[in-house]
Amino acid sequence: MKREEILLGNGAIALGLLEAGCQVVTSYPGTPSSEILPEVIRLVKSENLNTYVEWSTNEKVALDNAFAASITGKRAACCMKQVGLNVAADSLMSAAYLGTVGGLVIISCDDPGPHSSQTEQDTRFMARLAKVPVLDPSNPEEARKMVGLAMDLSEEFRVPVILRPAIRVCHARQNIAYDPLSVNPKKSAFEKDPSRWAATPRFRLILHGELNKKLKEIGKRFDTLDQYNFHTLEPGKNYPLGIIAGGVSYAVIRDLLEEHKRTDLPVLKVGTPYPFPEGLASEFMSACDKVLVIEETDTLIEYLLGDRNKVLGRLSGHVPLEGELIPQVIYRLFDRTLRELELQPFEGENEAEAVELVKSLQLPVRKPTLCPGCPHRAAFFAIRKSKPKAIFTSDIGCYTLGMNLGVVDTCLDMGASITMASGFYHAFAQDGVDQPIVATIGDSTFFHSGTAGLLNAVYNGARFILVILDNLTTAMTGMQPTPSLGIKADGSEAKAISLERIVAGCGVDYIEVLDPYDIKKTIEELKKASEYIKEPEGGIAVIIARHPCVIAYRSEAIPEKKKVTVTEECAECNFCMDRFECPAIYHDQELGRTSINSQLCSSCGVCLQVCPKGAIVEVA
Amino acid sequence: MNTINMVLCGLGGQGILFMTKVLAQVALDKGYNVMGAETHGMAQRGGSVVSHLRLGNVQGSLVRTNEAPLLLALEENEGYRNLPYLARGGRLYVNTTSPLFPREEVKGFLAKKEIISRSVPAGKIALDLGAPMSSNLALLGFFSAFEDKPFDYENLRQTIGKISPDRFRDKNLSIFDAGYHEGKKG
Repeated sequence: MKREEILLGNGAIALGLLEAGCQVVTSYPGTPSSEILPEVIRLVKSENLNTYVEWSTNEKVALDNAFAASITGKRAACCMKQVGLNVAADSLMSAAYLGTVGGLVIISCDDPGPHSSQTEQDTRFMARLAKVPVLDPSNPEEARKMVGLAMDLSEEFRVPVILRPAIRVCHARQNIAYDPLSVNPKKSAFEKDPSRWAATPRFRLILHGELNKKLKEIGKRFDTLDQYNFHTLEPGKNYPLGIIAGGVSYAVIRDLLEEHKRTDLPVLKVGTPYPFPEGLASEFMSACDKVLVIEETDTLIEYLLGDRNKVLGRLSGHVPLEGELIPQVIYRLFDRTLRELELQPFEGENEAEAVELVKSLQLPVRKPTLCPGCPHRAAFFAIRKSKPKAIFTSDIGCYTLGMNLGVVDTCLDMGASITMASGFYHAFAQDGVDQPIVATIGDSTFFHSGTAGLLNAVYNGARFILVILDNLTTAMTGMQPTPSLGIKADGSEAKAISLERIVAGCGVDYIEVLDPYDIKKTIEELKKASEYIKEPEGGIAVIIARHPCVIAYRSEAIPEKKKVTVTEECAECNFCMDRFECPAIYHDQELGRTSINSQLCSSCGVCLQVCPKGAIVEVA
Repeated sequence: MNTINMVLCGLGGQGILFMTKVLAQVALDKGYNVMGAETHGMAQRGGSVVSHLRLGNVQGSLVRTNEAPLLLALEENEGYRNLPYLARGGRLYVNTTSPLFPREEVKGFLAKKEIISRSVPAGKIALDLGAPMSSNLALLGFFSAFEDKPFDYENLRQTIGKISPDRFRDKNLSIFDAGYHEGKKG
């Protein structure tokens, strides 16, 4: 019997994977991809499937694992965010040459905006670079279907296939009906073939030739794949302007044209931008005097179109070069282009007046902040107090928000807190300057990319303090377990990997574990660590600041609740708000004084250690 | 069926996703196709959170500015921030205790666009009933006092009962009812 649910786009992708008989799914969490694996797990449990799932330690690890499953003949997938594909790029480029046996689908979720990423990079270009096909869904339902197509293509042509959902597909919700799922009975069988699976450069040239042939064939297939690639031209008719769109932008265009009943504007929908459906595109181009290309996020389709004189898009200045193409942005650029070409513009109201009004209201800027009770806040407060002159290198995770407390100076990529700390050390040491440096990294990020940088730093004699902010979860992306917890992705038991032992294994001789809620102790330990790194026999000092995340562990994270209040002693110096920045401490406009918001306060009691006047006290 | 667009907004942690889930489920149960867009990731850490909901045969998940007849705000300033989404003749529902709502500066705009604005102390209602985190349910109850199908009181109440976890069901329904009665009093 069919079941209908309102699924998150990532849930629709998970459904598509299991409908396609996917037997292995690996992933490393990252917005906007994080919910795919949990949704796979939910369906595996509810439908009694036996698909193997894992949170891998990073995206390269995830892809390598899925690739091995694929060459045993099983269907496999790995899921990540777009910058995760950078980490997996080494694996991807090579896997494209080697090819697959069972279907291998890489789901790389883009974040135009960016909402929760370092860059707005376009995965479709990564696919072009690796020479693998890429599919670009426009909504959850299409993403679900495209996953099946990707699996089939990958198996038929023996090439990995990338699905590139943008954030508005991943985090859209749509009602989707589905039939019961069944177990794929396919068994593993690995046929040894060293000239392929361990190809040396001589064989790589041959494999490159094979890959090029596959792409040519797939390109032809895409010309006639009319479920995903189609145009709305009427035979024999010529048009002053046509629209070429793919992915989420197509969904916006289609809604807009339907709403305004604009049948005078033909559309070419490109669901498979690479290899490019050239035949279909040239048919469309020859019927239009100009084409406006609207694609998320970069200029892939625009580059691939032949007749440059006809193309309007980012390169001609008609489409913004950065930022997400949300409906009002598309509406405006579309309307402007219609006016420029002296075609009928859209009818409708302008939102400019409302936007101006909102600006004039000077509404409070809501920057994201660490949660009330967050152990990172306590650690950051102590770090700043004990090492005010240090360079603070940091990393990717909730604790990037330590920037608000003035304790994050750099954030480059996963693991760069450590590698940049050693880089800073050597750059200053070369000049004979003793520059204090404190690196901060989360536990999950350390497992992802910390070790290579740490052992490099130890080996090459760098000296700095590394604080591992161990909140016993991957908090920013939705509380996925880390390897230290002894829990696997599906909740089953795992071997718990000790952070301390890994750090020691990287060659670090100074390791101190503490609870950052105790600010005094943290400051003392930071002082001791500073002394150690200056000793002749010293080196890198690692402090593991361990306290559970208050969101993941709730009341368990705060066993001793302390209700607090602000007394008359308060000098209104704002020190607590500037340096501690707890959302529960605020300036009450009516009372004209610093107060505690009891609804937001987590009763962690850390702020009792913060006020220089001792004006924050526990309520008896 | 015509498309119904709505925007729900507030601050991280106020339960905007749950509120969206209720409305989406109500619509689905009444035969609508549902499409929505949510905020996840860094913005959830105390930042502005917006959720879009579209009912009807649409492809895209985001509402365009000027296109939403309904705007629900769990926080007054977030309501103002999302005013550009409201369509002419739209309805604005805001959780606030401010007697000065709506702010003087926006009155002219609301009148010109024939927007009806209504406020309810949803946070206070929830707090008085011992569930300070449930202002979302009080706002939904208030909202249902003024709206027709599919978002009438009976439909919403039934769905909240259906999707609430057992141990919260009675409490959730009592907060929802309190919001509804506040609206009926109005």
